[in-house]
Amino acid sequence: MNFEWTEEQAAFRGKLVDFLEANLPEDWEEFSKHGPASPALTEFARGFCRKLAENGMLFPHWPKEIGGEGLGPWEQQILAEVMWEYGEPRGGQYMNVNWIGPTMLKYGTEAQKARYLPQIASGEMLWCQGFSEPNSGSDLASLRTRAELEGDHYRVNGQKIWTSYAGLADTCFLLTRTSDDRKKGITILLVPMDTPGITVRQIPSLIGEGDIHEVFFDDVMVPVTQRFGEEGQAWEIIGYSLTNERLGIPRYHLAREALDRAVGILKESGDFARETVKAEAARCAALCEAARTAIYAIVQKRVDGGTIGPESSSARFATVQAERAVCEFVVEYVPEALAGQSAFLQMHHQRGIVAGIASGAAEIQLNIIASDVLQLPREPR
Amino acid sequence: MLLSLSDDQTQILDFIDSLTRPYASVPMHDVSFALTSDALDAELVEGGFLDVMAMEELGPVTAALVVERLARLPFAVEAAASALVRPLLDPELPRPLCLIEEGQLRKPVRFLKPGATVVVVGENGVRSFTATEEHVCEAGDEVLYAYPLAYLTGVPDETRTHDIAAEKLRTQWRAVLAAEAAGLLAAALQSATTYVSERKQFGRPIATFQALRHRLAEIQVATNGVYWLALRAAGTGDAGDAALAALHAQEAAKRAGYDFHQFLGAMGMTLEHPLHLWTYRLKLLTAELGGRGAQAVAAADAIWG
Repeated sequence: MNFEWTEEQAAFRGKLVDFLEANLPEDWEEFSKHGPASPALTEFARGFCRKLAENGMLFPHWPKEIGGEGLGPWEQQILAEVMWEYGEPRGGQYMNVNWIGPTMLKYGTEAQKARYLPQIASGEMLWCQGFSEPNSGSDLASLRTRAELEGDHYRVNGQKIWTSYAGLADTCFLLTRTSDDRKKGITILLVPMDTPGITVRQIPSLIGEGDIHEVFFDDVMVPVTQRFGEEGQAWEIIGYSLTNERLGIPRYHLAREALDRAVGILKESGDFARETVKAEAARCAALCEAARTAIYAIVQKRVDGGTIGPESSSARFATVQAERAVCEFVVEYVPEALAGQSAFLQMHHQRGIVAGIASGAAEIQLNIIASDVLQLPREPR
Repeated sequence: MLLSLSDDQTQILDFIDSLTRPYASVPMHDVSFALTSDALDAELVEGGFLDVMAMEELGPVTAALVVERLARLPFAVEAAASALVRPLLDPELPRPLCLIEEGQLRKPVRFLKPGATVVVVGENGVRSFTATEEHVCEAGDEVLYAYPLAYLTGVPDETRTHDIAAEKLRTQWRAVLAAEAAGLLAAALQSATTYVSERKQFGRPIATFQALRHRLAEIQVATNGVYWLALRAAGTGDAGDAALAALHAQEAAKRAGYDFHQFLGAMGMTLEHPLHLWTYRLKLLTAELGGRGAQAVAAADAIWG
């Protein structure tokens, strides 16, 4: 075991940091307060991701045959850490890199790969995830948005909610119901957001402008060729993609960066001389680093070619604890940060508070740990 | 970055598992408060398991893995200080090794007995001596911890001074404290998990109630965190890493210790069930090195200066 980065890995991180330092605008921190799904950042990200792509930094971990550099999972993690440390200048396109691309590679038809991978690779494509519904949040398998096969099209009717990026996305990765067989009756459709019958309404939120939406589907006609995987295969596919998603956002790293910055402010003000403040900061750091090492253990498993199992839920929960602790630390000891005095800490707070909700509620992670890590007998349903 | 076990490490843990198999469980109704075995101790010494740190291809992470694995046993073994601290001082120091902080003579000392090496960590230096009968005061029958314990009557005038900074020794102490806690947490978690899966109330295993499931799941998360932070601390030798590991370990021990006994109900209040062998070691580990607050301040100083 070795807990240090190799020279190559350190150099890779250095290269990314140098690139961001050289290419992000002067007022980037202030600008990034707009939030990853805002029109301003989405527009910025289209240009910036193109630049990343041109420099081989958008998806260096993808295989060479689809334009990547074939680098490994550690480099993927380093890439994610650096991007998050800098407030995610890729905006919503982080999803493309983290899980849509890999999922497309594994489950897409040749035609779908040919259509979408180059668009993703160009750094200009934005997706949204049509998962949650008004009555299907944590109980995702109860979703009701219908897709009825009519000839060579599906007719889609229903509603999605809490959909990030929907306002500006090109395509929706949409979960639909094609039969009543709960998990086995769910099918994925890739739906262009300009298809007639789709209505998007933005929901004002605590987490930044343009972030969450309601999406209505009224007799939306989707060609069968836009079905992703087989009918009823959605649950398997999103299981694969959510594992990537849960690991993909290195929240522990941004939380640690926010903590370091908060401590910097407290040192300057003299408040960090108080042992109670120091002790709280250290507790936050312990949670951040515990989450980091738990995630790294899984990255290692990926490097070794192992299958990622329920341990990703354990690492995810550790990350949620770290995010929560740092958000609360900042509020308690640096309250001015959320009142206009620190663009970075405000940005962190707005992203941090969703950690326990996005990509599976923290309580669902605990259920998974109880059943599948600890192997406790299941709860009666 | 390389977090998988090497073939050597896997092999050593396999050896330990087969060597300790006769000691891996204790019959119900036959559990004393502090369970020890001279035979087990002798076998571990003979197998060289406490000397792996000095071997180039193994090193401190392997030693921490050994400590973690041995801590899962119902038998208390003095492995932590011997495996990770002794190599920094003198690999020939007689065992058991007892670590104490200067000026803390009121506290009970784990594994202390005549013939043990007592390592005194002061503000400015590290010294040691071999305990004789006159240094050791038996703790008697009133001890509520699952370690063999005694009190030190005093530190002799003549001690051996070691050429190591006190802070470096504390760093190693913190790392190994976390490694031992990780093993204790894992064993107690396993024990509690088994119990709640078998114990039925209201017609179903109590493990099916979410009030328990979520808390056990949180303990799993904490245990995993302590395990990895301990290995990282052993691997990097960094003062901040070690303090964070010890802090996380003592935080987890405090929270989990209560829950484990709560979930076993009255059974967890008996000496018939072995749970206390791990939890009443964890309790004493929360008192090491000044407790959580001291670890937290040490971590903050090491990380942010």
